[in-house]
Amino acid sequence: MASQTALMSAELSRRGFLRGVAAAGAGLALASCSRPSSGVTEIVFYQSKPEVIGYFDDLIEQFHQTQSRVRVRHDATSNLAGTFVRESPPDIGCLNYNFEVSRYVERGALSDLGDMPEAGRVLDDLQPLIDVTATYPDRTSVIPYSLMAAAVLYNREIFAQHGLVPPTTHAEFLALCDALTAAGVTPFYSTFKDPWTIAQGHFDYAVGGMLDTTDFFRRLKEQGADAGPDAPVTFEKQFLEPVRRMQELVGYTNADAASRGYGDGNLAFANGQAAMYLQGPWALGEIAKTNPDLDVGAFPLPMTDDPADRKVRVNIDLALWIPERSTKQEAAREFLAFLMQPDVIDAYNAHALGFGVTQDAAPVTDPTLVELQEYYDRADFYLGASQLVPQSIPLQNYTQSLASGADPQRVLRTLDADWQRLAFRS
Amino acid sequence: MVTATATRPGGGDVAAPPPTTPDHRPAVPRTFYLFLIPTLVLFTLSITLPAIMGITLSFTDSVGFGEFSFTGLTNYVALFADPAVRSSYLFTIGFALVTVVLVNVIAFLLAVGLTARIRAKVALRAVFVLPMVISGIVIAYVFNFLFSNSVPQLGQALGVAALEQSLLADPDLAWVTIVIVTAWQAIPSALLIYIAGILSIPGEVYEAAAMDGASARRRLLSITLPLVSGYVVINLVIGFKNFLNAYDIIVGLTNGGPGTATRSVAMTIFSGFTGGDYAYQMANATIFFLIAVVLAVVQLRLTRGRSALS
Repeated sequence: MASQTALMSAELSRRGFLRGVAAAGAGLALASCSRPSSGVTEIVFYQSKPEVIGYFDDLIEQFHQTQSRVRVRHDATSNLAGTFVRESPPDIGCLNYNFEVSRYVERGALSDLGDMPEAGRVLDDLQPLIDVTATYPDRTSVIPYSLMAAAVLYNREIFAQHGLVPPTTHAEFLALCDALTAAGVTPFYSTFKDPWTIAQGHFDYAVGGMLDTTDFFRRLKEQGADAGPDAPVTFEKQFLEPVRRMQELVGYTNADAASRGYGDGNLAFANGQAAMYLQGPWALGEIAKTNPDLDVGAFPLPMTDDPADRKVRVNIDLALWIPERSTKQEAAREFLAFLMQPDVIDAYNAHALGFGVTQDAAPVTDPTLVELQEYYDRADFYLGASQLVPQSIPLQNYTQSLASGADPQRVLRTLDADWQRLAFRS
Repeated sequence: MVTATATRPGGGDVAAPPPTTPDHRPAVPRTFYLFLIPTLVLFTLSITLPAIMGITLSFTDSVGFGEFSFTGLTNYVALFADPAVRSSYLFTIGFALVTVVLVNVIAFLLAVGLTARIRAKVALRAVFVLPMVISGIVIAYVFNFLFSNSVPQLGQALGVAALEQSLLADPDLAWVTIVIVTAWQAIPSALLIYIAGILSIPGEVYEAAAMDGASARRRLLSITLPLVSGYVVINLVIGFKNFLNAYDIIVGLTNGGPGTATRSVAMTIFSGFTGGDYAYQMANATIFFLIAVVLAVVQLRLTRGRSALS
């Protein structure tokens, strides 16, 4: 009896299995039919900066109206590392140019754009920043699209109330903080719960305000894997003083900083709970959501006693690239050329509060950022150190330790050791 | 374990005697092997092959794509010298041990309560099992808010200085929050197993004990506990293995911080995937895999022994 039932079920399952196979086959056939077969090329455009996803959707729509050869599909959600690992990267990308994209550059995964006229329009001052992040011999792997300049955001109203002006030296800055504290105002608001806010703010401003980050990382990379703790260039040697000064600043921040996140910080600064806020222009839109009338200014954090040392922190917020493995590079280049058209790129940067990266770019008009234009024009800027440390080193977490009072020497020694190990195995 | 029970019906448990081959071994109908094929294919394609590829890549300098070259044991040598990796193992193992004990003590006590003659037993069971159906990341974000805002406010209102600062921001105590939240989510599944175990104890045993004048406490320690010991072992081993894989709750609560105080092994491995340290963390994953294999063997040994007892 039992074996008979078993046999019957076996037949059933075999029949069902065959039916399943037939259904799957039919599905595949249908799927292949739905692929566009006419002369239209569909490319995948990877862009995931959350604030401007809708903006780029509109740009793609504009692009579709100007021509009918290339269709663009906007991918804002895939795991980029995953697409490269599966060897099916997007056809064109527009991403923050930092430690994440650097490995694609260094392994030659991005194609050479040097022959495109758009590459020639990029500001010469930006080349060192691009090169220190990552290079591949004889290639223009990326074309910058938007640059963000970050500095200390300050509440002009609070400054005016207490008769204060933006400081030009570190001593002036500390005196300003003391004056605010004496008046019962929290000098600046910090959000230590989100480690990235410490890395891009307190840490990068302190380091970049005291030493040349481009030069430091270039020399550090040249030293290679053999450099020990006695090498001339180490985090422990060059970063110790900046990091000490960074810890000094923590004393002027809100008492509950350790449990506050980025969202809390925007809200608090918008409500006038502190006079200053160490955030980039990306926070301005968030602050305006709470208090659209807040009068915000910006000044570079002075870390030395020479006013000429004041510099703003920049990062290449968006850069365009086309992977080697894309099979539709021509179509991707067509879209790239469209995005780089002067009116398109200027409109984007005006919208996203970015600084122009081309020689023909328009100056910024945002009432906060105009204060930073002069530094940008003089090339008084530096790349944030936190943007140049590979992601496999948990630098953001280390800066969080520093903010909560860890021994700077010990943390920097760990950072040096991590850097050495990474150099050894790669 | 699963395959062993799955093939058994072809052996002795079926009512009619199965057909036998000339050498008197019971023949397993071909149908049962056919049933295995889909699972075997899926397992091979989605687990075995990727595992072999991953282990192979752990001997290279691959960043996940493009060209790579074989570097022998470089990654493994670097791994054992890496304090970040070492501390992630120490944290994860310590966390798993504490959590597994806490989960099992609470789940066992709850199970005893929920199998006693109390009112609204079924409704209460449903309430206690609820955390099981919520996704870990959601739970973590809710608790993140509670620990960052509600608990400090409560601490201020009650004047308890220890609670005024967020536990999440304290490098020495942040792990406690992870234990609490993980336990909150993991207790229901352990609870269900304990309830099933307690309900499987025959009532006569308790009657006999009651007649001999055993107190309730005595019955718990001398009858309930020994008779569910098989379930305790299952819960301990499975729980420990699961807690070693801790990921989502930590990401939602502390994201490995403050500093690197609560970075688990799984987080470290995944950072290699997103951070371009692919081959290196593949080596880490290989070692983690070997540890899991050892635990699985232990689990099989222990549970096999226990099922023979009962």
